[in-house]
This record gives sequence, C-alpha cells and structure tokens, in this order.
Amino acid sequence: MSWWSTASIRVRLTGWYGVVLFLMMAIYATATFVAVRHEFLEQLDDQLHDDFEAAEGHLIAGADGRIVWSGERHHDPDSDEERGSDVWSVSGEPIYRSTASASLPPAAIAAATAGGRYESLVINRSRWRTLTGTSSVGGRAVVLRASRSEDRVRAQLWEILVVLVLGLPLVVALASLGGYTLARRALTPIDHLASEARRITADRLHERLSVPNPEDEIGRLATVINDTYARLESSFDQLRRFTADASHELRTPLSVIRGLGEMQLNRTRTPDEYKEAIGSMLEEVDRLTSLVDTLLRLSHGDAGTIRLSREALDVGQLVRDVASSLGILAEERQQTLKVDVREDVFVTTDRLVLREAFANVIDNAIKYSPKGSTIVASVRADGERAVVDIVDEGPGIAAEHRRRIFDRFFRLDEGRSRDRGGTGLGLAIAKWAVDVSGGQITVEGRPSGGSVFRIVLPAAAPAIRNPHRDREPQLKGEHV
Amino acid sequence: MRVLIVEDERKLAQIVESALQAEHYESVVAPTGEDGFFRANAEAFDLIILDLMLPGRSGLEILQTLRQRHIETPVLILTARDGVDDRVLGLDLGADDYLVKPFALPELMARIRALFRRGRPSDVLRLKAADLELDLVTRRVMRGDAQLDLTGREFELLEYLLRHQGHLVSREMLAREVWREPRRATPLDNVIDVQMTRLRKKVDADGVPRLIHTVRGVGFVLREGEP
Repeated sequence: MSWWSTASIRVRLTGWYGVVLFLMMAIYATATFVAVRHEFLEQLDDQLHDDFEAAEGHLIAGADGRIVWSGERHHDPDSDEERGSDVWSVSGEPIYRSTASASLPPAAIAAATAGGRYESLVINRSRWRTLTGTSSVGGRAVVLRASRSEDRVRAQLWEILVVLVLGLPLVVALASLGGYTLARRALTPIDHLASEARRITADRLHERLSVPNPEDEIGRLATVINDTYARLESSFDQLRRFTADASHELRTPLSVIRGLGEMQLNRTRTPDEYKEAIGSMLEEVDRLTSLVDTLLRLSHGDAGTIRLSREALDVGQLVRDVASSLGILAEERQQTLKVDVREDVFVTTDRLVLREAFANVIDNAIKYSPKGSTIVASVRADGERAVVDIVDEGPGIAAEHRRRIFDRFFRLDEGRSRDRGGTGLGLAIAKWAVDVSGGQITVEGRPSGGSVFRIVLPAAAPAIRNPHRDREPQLKGEHV
Repeated sequence: MRVLIVEDERKLAQIVESALQAEHYESVVAPTGEDGFFRANAEAFDLIILDLMLPGRSGLEILQTLRQRHIETPVLILTARDGVDDRVLGLDLGADDYLVKPFALPELMARIRALFRRGRPSDVLRLKAADLELDLVTRRVMRGDAQLDLTGREFELLEYLLRHQGHLVSREMLAREVWREPRRATPLDNVIDVQMTRLRKKVDADGVPRLIHTVRGVGFVLREGEP
C-alpha cells in the first residue's frame, strides 16, 4: 500500500485503468461466452428436432403391418458418426437402430410423450444430446429417438473459451501500455509547470509561468498559480515599502536627536539655548515613542495576538462620542462637524478599537478639509450591516491612491501631512481596527470634490436594536 | 520618605534617583535582583520601584517573595513589557502600580506622589494657586475678582492641573486622567493641545501673571512665576 501511495500519478492512473479495463473485459467475455454457448446448444436442439421429423418420414408401415425403416444411408460418413436415429415399438422392441447410436442405451419407452423430450447422455466420455418422442406410423404407435453427438459443439466452445481467456490479459496489457503513454503525455505539462515554478523565487517574483492554453486544466492551474504569485509579489512589495518607510520614519527623529545633542555640545551655550534644544529633543522622543507604540500595536494585530473584548455597542453613540471629543479640532478650523444618526444600530466588538477607527478617520477628515467646510458622519443600518459614512469637502483622493491610502506610512503629500503632526499611520490603524471588528473600510470620491470614507460593520442581532427609537425622531439629529 | 530603586540600567536608575532627590525623597539604588531582594528584606522603605527584567532574580519573583513574607511596602513596577497579561500578573502578585518604559518622568513622579497619598483623606473642596481659585462644590472658578466661564472639560483640566500644581503634567497623564482614554493617540494629542490653549486664554488673560506654562517636549505645569 505504501508503494502504491508513493507511486507517481501516471503509474497509479495506469494501474487503475488496467484493473477497470480487466474487470470490464472479463464481464464482457463471460457474457459473450454464455450467449454463444446457449446459441450453440439451441442450434443442436433445432437440428435434433429436424432429425426427428426426418426420421418420422423414413418409417413406412409395411403391408404385413410391420413398420420398416426405409431410410437411405447417408453418404457423409463423418456426419453418420455423429448422429443417429432409433425406433422402438411401444412394447419396447427395437424396430431400427442406426450404427452411430448403437452404443446408446435404449430409450425409456414409458416416459416418451408426443411432444418429445430432450436429454443429455454421457457414454464412454462422449456427450450425446437426444430427442425422444412418440410418433405413429400407419396408426401404430412407435417411440422415436434422434441423437447427435455434442463433441463438435463442445470443441468449438472450448476453442472460443481459450481465445477469450488468453486474449484478455494480452488486450489489457496492450491497453495499459497505451494508457501509460497517454497519462505521461497528459502529465508532462505538470512536470514542466513544476520546474518553471521552482525557478521563481522571492527575488524573481515578477516572473510568471507560461500559459500556452488558458482554457485547459493545466492552463487554469497555471493561471491560478500566477494569480498567487501576483498577490505574493504585491505583499512583498508592500512589505519592502513598509520596511523602507518605517526605517525612514524611525531614523528621522533619531538623527534629529543626535544632531541636536552634538550641536549643543560643540560649544558652551546659554541655559535658554539648552532648554530649547532639550525640549526639541524630547519632542522627537515623543514622536518616536508614539510611532513605536503604534507599530507594535499593528504588528500585534498582524500576529493576531491582540485580545479584544466583545460587547454590543451603539454605533451612533460611539460616533457622537468621538465627534464630541474631536469637535474642538474642527472648531479651531471653523469647520462644522455633524453627526447624523439615521437608525440605531448595534455592533459587537471592542469599544476602544472601534473608537480608534472612527477617531482616526474623523481626525483625518478634519485635518485635510479646508477651513469653514462641513464634515458629516452619518450612521445607518443596511440590512445586516451598520454603515458609517464620513463625508468631507476636502480635496479628495485621486483614484490611483485610493487603494494605498490605508497602507502604513502612505502619504499623499509628504511634507504637508508631517507638518500637521501625522505619523502616516492613522488610516492604517483605522483599517486595522475595522478589520479586526470584522468590517470593511473603503474610500470613494464625490463628484463635488471631497471623499467619503465608508465603514461597514456586521450588525449585531436586530433584537438589540431599540424599537422605540423610530417613534422619537427628536432624539435623532445633529450634533455640532 | 525612603525609596528603593531596583533597576539594572545604570543611567535610568540615576535619572530616577535624581528626580526623587529633586522632590526631596531619599533613595537607594539596587543594581541586581539579588541586591534588591536583600535590601527590601533587610531595610525599611516607603516605596519600591521595581524593574521586572533583572539579572539574577526577576522582579516578579522578588515581589512574590516580599508579599509572601508580609512585607507590604508599596511597589511600583517599571517595565518594557506592555502586554495586558504582564500587567495583570504584576498587579495580581501585589504590585500597587505599573508603568511601561519608555515613561515620562513627570508621570512617574505623579504616581509616586499618588502612592504616598494613598489612604489619606483628600476631601479638598477648594483648590488654589495665586489668585486662581476653583470651587469643587459650586464648580465656580475665580481669577482675582473675575469669574471664569469654563466648559466642563476645561474645568476638569484646570482641576487636574491645580491638584498637581508645581509639578509637570504630561499629555499621557491628561489623556488618561482627564479624557479617560486608556491610550494616547495623535488625534487626542491635538485635542489636548487645543483645549489647553483655550483654557490658558481664559485663565491667563492679558495683564495677569501667567500660571499655566508649556514645557516643551514634556507637557504642562501650573505654577506661580517662571516654570
């Protein structure tokens, strides 16, 4: 069995093919043989019946009331060896016995009937088939028996059997050989695919398997593998970009700290200068700390080692909380931050994590929207989902950047966002937070400019939704 | 007040030591787990600042043994491990507080003060600094003769600054104690800064001596005169 399970597919395929073919051929040969044999014996019985009728014709009632066999001798001695006719009177006296059938025992007179009865006899190891019946000749009843040797038929059947039994393995062997060749030919592209795939390593991920015919099975397999390579390549790219960006982001504050320290020590300075420099260094340390914290949190999230609490949360309430906490930032920029809760909808997830998602997206909207514009955060239920839209009147995000906007350290405008105190991780954290809550975050442009950040979360059981809320529309409304 | 600092990183131990001295606490540094354990057993301290990853004997082991021997000196754990499990384990073993490296020095000092204050009544009804007066019962704030009109958040912020007057207050402390957010995030930092600017405009209006000062890279302090 272990040999079988480790054999190559082509050997196993051929093996199965051979076994199935053998079984089918065996059934076919058996059925053929049985049918032929039945046909041969049937024919023999028909011939006996003819012989019987012919024998009846040979009997003549003589003038003296005796019955005489008037048959002429057959001219075919071979045939005479193999068939014979016998006639008895009803009392059992033999009237006529042919030479061929002379060795056969007399028929059972009492058992003979008008319809005739077939019987097989074995005499001296040779098989005979007989038809015994009554007949009447000139008003006198006689018992007539026609007999034929079965030996010739048996010999023919034996020959057929030998051909079938010997031919079967030969046919199966030849067919298996053909099957093996076919299997090898069919599987060759897979070997080819394997050697091509082996060539593509982490450094050569841009290469693809060749797909001669994308419609056949091998082509489909190659296409699937190529898709996997494409995804792998983009993950690798993302990782490479992340590593480069992370080291840049981490090294910048480090070089500032180092530079400040070195500069302050190259000559004596006034206490105020020292204070200024140390404060500056501490600011960079602060930035570094929050960067490292965020990265650690993201990597914990990637590794799945973060532990989340799960509670039913009122999404509208949570958005209102976040908006009231960040509202002061919008106020500073003379922006209007509205919350529009159209339906009460609950989700089951970690409160802090979800808050973080909302806070980062709203903060992002405040940061990049012009002074005096309006930002609307709306909450609604859509079937089994809770949908939070954060709509701003900012410059919008070009379509080609939308896919990468949630990448870590991705910035639309390097200098500007850093000045605004961004780490480049806000939306990455938001995406992470939405992902672990089982939701999706997307961004779309608006025809009038600005962006819509949409957070879709699986809603908790509708039973928890407050059924009275719809009757109190005054509780809905805007929070400014 | 005597504080034992069990910390193997020499620079860090020195920094904590000098910060304690600046607030007139007496302090002893134990550079290894063994030494720390020996001293904590043999001498009397009012507080132990304990690092968890120590050569010789781990901080958690020391803490466990101390508590088993019914030495109930308050213990503040200082560690780079920030997993929830680590915190829970430390606090379960009998630590009184927990601070994750890198920490802000003002925060460490505030926590030490809180530990010393523990158990003492703090039912203050009125907080004062110079001519600024905050009434916790009527929630009225007076600067000299003028009554200040503060929002709820501004009131809480000022109350916190007054309770820690003369001491530095970091943004982490404000995020946790005033905004009650367990994590400091960039959006919140901005909110704190804006809120502080507004409070300062109301408290330190033109023509009066400034009370709220920003210490660059560290945080804020409410203090008469120069920071």
